[in-house]
Amino acid sequence: MNRTLTRTVKSAMSWPRPRTSNGQSVCHFCDTLHEERHVREGLAARCARCGALLYENRAGSLARASAFSLAALLLMVLVHAFPFLTMDAASMRRELTLTGAAGALMKDGYQVLGVAIILFTLVAPIMLAGGMLYVCLPLLSGRAAPGAITVAKWMYRSEPWNMVEVFLLGVMVSLMKLAKVADVHFDMGFWAFFGVMLCTAAAVSGIHRHELWDRLEVART
Amino acid sequence: MKNRFPKGADRGLAGCHTCGKVSPVILGRCPRCGVRLHVRTPNSIQTTLALMAAAITLYIPSHLLPVMTVSELGEITHNTIISGMLTFWRSGAYPIAIVIFTASILIPLLKIAALSWLCAAATGRVHPSPTTLGKIYWITELLGRWSMVDIFVVGILVSIVQVGNYMSITPGPGALAFAGVVMLTMFAAMSFDPRMLWDRLDEISSDYPPIPTSKPES
Repeated sequence: MNRTLTRTVKSAMSWPRPRTSNGQSVCHFCDTLHEERHVREGLAARCARCGALLYENRAGSLARASAFSLAALLLMVLVHAFPFLTMDAASMRRELTLTGAAGALMKDGYQVLGVAIILFTLVAPIMLAGGMLYVCLPLLSGRAAPGAITVAKWMYRSEPWNMVEVFLLGVMVSLMKLAKVADVHFDMGFWAFFGVMLCTAAAVSGIHRHELWDRLEVART
Repeated sequence: MKNRFPKGADRGLAGCHTCGKVSPVILGRCPRCGVRLHVRTPNSIQTTLALMAAAITLYIPSHLLPVMTVSELGEITHNTIISGMLTFWRSGAYPIAIVIFTASILIPLLKIAALSWLCAAATGRVHPSPTTLGKIYWITELLGRWSMVDIFVVGILVSIVQVGNYMSITPGPGALAFAGVVMLTMFAAMSFDPRMLWDRLDEISSDYPPIPTSKPES
């Protein structure tokens, strides 16, 4: 009981420093070595030489990251329940879904492209939001989820391949292309995906990756 | 000679690429997350150049081959990325035409040009001005993904336009080549190590010892 309490109190405190930390930080952009100093919540440390962001102490980081990633995952369910676009043409109704777009490419012999669409618009955002939730939610009570290190690693690896916003632009371009031949309009799926984009962005920028890894290290020891 | 800004590399320290922890490179792997530690990304320039060469090779067929084939009432038209853009331009949809032009034609070319410049600067052939080039690198990494928009449009149109026998759209080999260009340039940008620009700058501005790119023997 006492141990749980200390853990919870510890995790509620801002950014802890792991015991193994050597108090140093290097700029990822110019490799300048800095002495790590604690920054207050809401403040960031920048490289003295090139000005790149070294680390940032964001307010309510864990809660923010968990909440937004949960919201992104819930919206992801809506994305699959509703179509992106609905088209009425020649007394027929066609609906566009994420898996439908990938499946159509696969059916026509372009499996690689279909898989790419699935990876960039489905797997990557789920890995990102799901991984963030899996790592951050237990950390709120000072615990590390089993395999959290591997999950966190893959979560950050999937980040550049998350192309939700690019797909949304693609839907808009397609709508413009079809607008002159048929009656097309945005459907719920589009707006839900728009929400996924905002929530994943908020979750990822909610906690700096150094803070996440430091907290993970503290929780594991 | 002592530099005003000490580098991690001088002391044999490397910041982990994944978790940011600073550890001695001798360890081989990051003690926190287990990812391999490097002072500088190994073979960074060679990898970047190789991936870029592949991207340039694919860029040509990606614009010559059709990305999709539209059959409307038995009439078949092959669409390339450029012809699709021109259709938008002629019909007066200028903003969309500009978006497609930027995402599909301009960004891959700018990316290849920027990465070539960065590689030339990192090998000392051009003066490295890390602040300017750094911004270019950052923009390159940021914009690259947007080129995928054309592939998504092809997927969306193929999926939704199946109006009985009146109209149907099938994907073309150009889409495959173009997806290759986007992914290869993304990997090329990822394998470039911007820290090399600062190394070159230090070599020029002082008799600073060159940074070993491989793991030092211990």
